[in-house]
Amino acid sequence: MPKKLHNNICEEHLFNSLFKKHSQDLNNFLHYKFGERLNPKDKTQEAFIKLWENCKKVTPEKAKSFLFTIGNNLMLNETKHQKVVLKYQQTKPKHYTNETPEFVLEEKQYMKKLQIALANLSEAQRVAFLMNRIDGKKHKEIAEVLGISTKAVEKRIYGALKKLRKDISEL
Amino acid sequence: MEREVLIKKWLSNNLNSQEFQAFKQLEDFNELTRLNAALQDFKPQELESDIELERLNIALKTKSKKQNNWLKPFMRIAAILAICIGSYYYTTTLNTNIATEFAQKENIVLPDDSQVKLNAKSTLAFNKKSWEDARNLDLNGEAYFKVAKGSKFTVHTTAGNISVLGTEFNINNRNNLFEVICYEGSVKVEHNKTSRILKPGESFLILDNKLVERPKTDDTSPFWINNESSFKSMPYAQVIAEFERQYNVTFSVNNIDINEVFSGSFAHNNLDIALQAITIPLNLAYTKNNNKISLKRE
Repeated sequence: MPKKLHNNICEEHLFNSLFKKHSQDLNNFLHYKFGERLNPKDKTQEAFIKLWENCKKVTPEKAKSFLFTIGNNLMLNETKHQKVVLKYQQTKPKHYTNETPEFVLEEKQYMKKLQIALANLSEAQRVAFLMNRIDGKKHKEIAEVLGISTKAVEKRIYGALKKLRKDISEL
Repeated sequence: MEREVLIKKWLSNNLNSQEFQAFKQLEDFNELTRLNAALQDFKPQELESDIELERLNIALKTKSKKQNNWLKPFMRIAAILAICIGSYYYTTTLNTNIATEFAQKENIVLPDDSQVKLNAKSTLAFNKKSWEDARNLDLNGEAYFKVAKGSKFTVHTTAGNISVLGTEFNINNRNNLFEVICYEGSVKVEHNKTSRILKPGESFLILDNKLVERPKTDDTSPFWINNESSFKSMPYAQVIAEFERQYNVTFSVNNIDINEVFSGSFAHNNLDIALQAITIPLNLAYTKNNNKISLKRE
């Protein structure tokens, strides 16, 4: 059996590298799942505080799933199943120089529709879909975080895409 | 079916160039790329990991301070416990103290039924707990002992130790005076590395650090027990000191040699008669002013 280099993550440099590695992913995960009204940034911090407090019990391999579970639980303590509304960046850099007013208006409407459609997705669908589309996570990675099979992840993502398109066209 | 497979492959970023061309031909292509582009605007804010890490470390530091705060009440409880245990230990090992004031005498029965009579302005201390192991007493002043038979009985004084097995004796330990008189049995006196065993009637007297030999007495108990102070060839200073203790008065003396030797006694129940008893034999006159008495040559 290969000897493990570290049994726990109580060393500061180890903990700091874990933070750099996982904080963004955790933040995004919480963001997709619960929206930003519940401040995913702070929950990310809290999850890392909990990790530090339990550093003796957590091996480096388990750290990631520990963080995601804790972050999720912290959120669940606060959510009252309110509808999640994701914000999109309002100040969009201009890609086109020759935008017609109709085009701008249509673009705005499209974003609104997308926002509503995303809010209408089930939580499970939205998290898997956005992790895939925005964070560019592989199915396998998503499956690990969510604790489901890759097949299920594929299904959720495809289901989410279908529902989004349907909703957007109907709105 | 072909379409669905292509879309799924696109979703998992698994299209090869050939498949990508096919995907491009799909009627959904424009819609999908548009959707994908729009989705990027929902990207959460980038965490500035250095700033966030800084924030985390600060939070962790304050957190560990809070844990110290948690220690505080614990320390309080520990302190209270320590005080309780300490005071319990202190009170159980504490000596029993008996002290007499001016003109006061006290009868004390010790745990083994030994009897002690304590003269005025004296203190006696002993420990009830360890009494069974060793009969030890601390005496400051004058006391008369009737010791029950038993283990070694020791009286510690500033001038020396007196130990007996069962007997009656008197100890007088005052300023410049250390006197032990044995009335019954035998008494061992230790003083400055000298030790002496007293038989009934014998006495041991140290006056101003000098041993004074005295004849045997026929008394069976000290006079003071019967409310009378008796002196045989005692410096006048000791007489006055005893008088002050019995009547709670203070003397001022003028032109009198307080080292003059006095023999006689005074009673403890009448100030005037007592004053006459100690002044007439030496041809002294006294004036009384409240608790102050001044003595003069006549």
